[in-house]
Amino acid sequence: MAVAILDSVIDELTAICGPDHVFTGRSATFNRARVPAPFPVHRWAEYIPSAVVLPSSTEQVSEVVKLANRHRIPVVPRAGGTGLTDGAVPLRGGILVDVKLMNQIHELDHENRTVTVGTGINMLKLNEELRRHGYIYPDDPASYPCSLVGGRIGTSGWSLIGARYGHTRDLVISFELVLPTGEVIRAGDGGGPKVRKSSSGYQLKHLFMGHQGTLGIATEATLELFPRPEAEFSMFWAYEDYRDAWRATGELARSGVATLAGVVLFDEHKIRYLRRDDEAYIPQPESVRAVVACAAYGNEDEVRVGAKRLLRIAKASGGRYLGDEISQGDWASRHDRYATPQHGRARDGQVALMSWHCEDASIPYPELPAVSEKWHAIAASLAERFDMFDDWGMFAYTNGAFKPWGDYLTEIDIGVWEMKWDEDAWAAWVQAKRDIAQVAIDHGGSISACHGSCREGEVDLVPLELGAGFEVMKTIKRSLDPNNIMNPGKYLLDQAYEEG
Amino acid sequence: MLGFRLSAQKPSEAHRVTDVVVSRFEHVFEVDPALMREHVHQQEIPNWDFERIVASRWEHLAWMHDHFADCAISAEELLAEIEAES
Repeated sequence: MAVAILDSVIDELTAICGPDHVFTGRSATFNRARVPAPFPVHRWAEYIPSAVVLPSSTEQVSEVVKLANRHRIPVVPRAGGTGLTDGAVPLRGGILVDVKLMNQIHELDHENRTVTVGTGINMLKLNEELRRHGYIYPDDPASYPCSLVGGRIGTSGWSLIGARYGHTRDLVISFELVLPTGEVIRAGDGGGPKVRKSSSGYQLKHLFMGHQGTLGIATEATLELFPRPEAEFSMFWAYEDYRDAWRATGELARSGVATLAGVVLFDEHKIRYLRRDDEAYIPQPESVRAVVACAAYGNEDEVRVGAKRLLRIAKASGGRYLGDEISQGDWASRHDRYATPQHGRARDGQVALMSWHCEDASIPYPELPAVSEKWHAIAASLAERFDMFDDWGMFAYTNGAFKPWGDYLTEIDIGVWEMKWDEDAWAAWVQAKRDIAQVAIDHGGSISACHGSCREGEVDLVPLELGAGFEVMKTIKRSLDPNNIMNPGKYLLDQAYEEG
Repeated sequence: MLGFRLSAQKPSEAHRVTDVVVSRFEHVFEVDPALMREHVHQQEIPNWDFERIVASRWEHLAWMHDHFADCAISAEELLAEIEAES
């Protein structure tokens, strides 16, 4: 149930953020109701925030949160709004805090190799500036051109080149956080904001990453800098059999090549989809049934040596090199998956406008083939019952930072014809998400590698995945957010207040 | 910049590539127009705009390579070196 906001509260918000940074109109509120993940468009009105504020400082965010506590109004943080779970979706109206105006570079520290930024900054724009100094901040999600540092912290994101450079949790050294009470802390490994390794006290950085906005709002972050890569290497290999490609993926990931940035496995359903709609794969012969891609970055001499080792492994695995044009072109497109044309096929083969949705999980390497089969069966069952879902195949990406041989970010892409949503279809979708999550847990994995698992359906299985750890989550939530104002309704955390 | 050309104002004839794909320019593919009749209707795109979109895509990919690294190493060249070494 959405919470109404009094005019006097709007006046207070205006006094805090300024008259130009508080919005209650349809355009500002409706556009911040959803994220790109499937959304019950037939019930859009249930997710509209009561007011949107764009604060420009940590102090303003703190004052907004304190106000929300006084009036018991929900607060929902939002950065780029590109998440594939529901972290930034208001479930009970309230005040939506959009961090986009906090997009400044505050400090570039050449000695400590850090950059300190507002969390409203985008990685692509940050890197355009860093390039002038010979640096890169290598956090590289599929939403690279449009997601923001604040959202990366809120989801504890995964990076395409994380095997080489680490993922968001490895790249963010510390950050300033407005707690659900409005108090401000610095969350890091311990000590000063630029300390990478500390054993002092609890590791608060990890607690306050990936909470999907339920434990506060990050407003400023100190980030890791790397030398800008001299060289990039990418290679795409075709296989006649998925199992051969899977084995090659494992061999490449276990190669120990220090410049290896990631390995990607395309399954047969993905190739079938690409053969229909992707210029690189349309001309490929039917014998191409699976693809393995990998990339390396770093100093040119090191990349060259490592690349040769990777090429020898791929060659010995029975693959066929697809050529530089596909390898380099397709790899470049991986930095920007949100620009993919959004169309799929209805059952009769006709083109329909569809939204892309990606269900993700962390899956141990040996389990990938079995999980792939089960997930496709779930997608097929959905498509049989509702002519609005289209299985776009699966990718599996190396998931571990610096040691990419264990679990894989495993995703199934499903096209969803959103204009056809109704209650029956939505219920079936939510059940399918539950089933997909159950498969991940059954195979020793985690419900999500990078999106988060707080959406309807999958969230029901979070207590199963975490066991007694979920009780600890509830205790932490209740302790830090006594009034349950910070993004309420997410992660089943309302239970924390029902049992007290 | 080229000026007005009559031949650039209309789409070229398409030839079939697969059962769901046609092509009007070398290495450039599009969905078979027959599959865009029920729910989505295909727009007629003049050749000049088609070429602009394709060129823009290549520009975008080149920009992305340059954004992430100073150079892209060719696997084809390295494979040739491996062959020569063996």
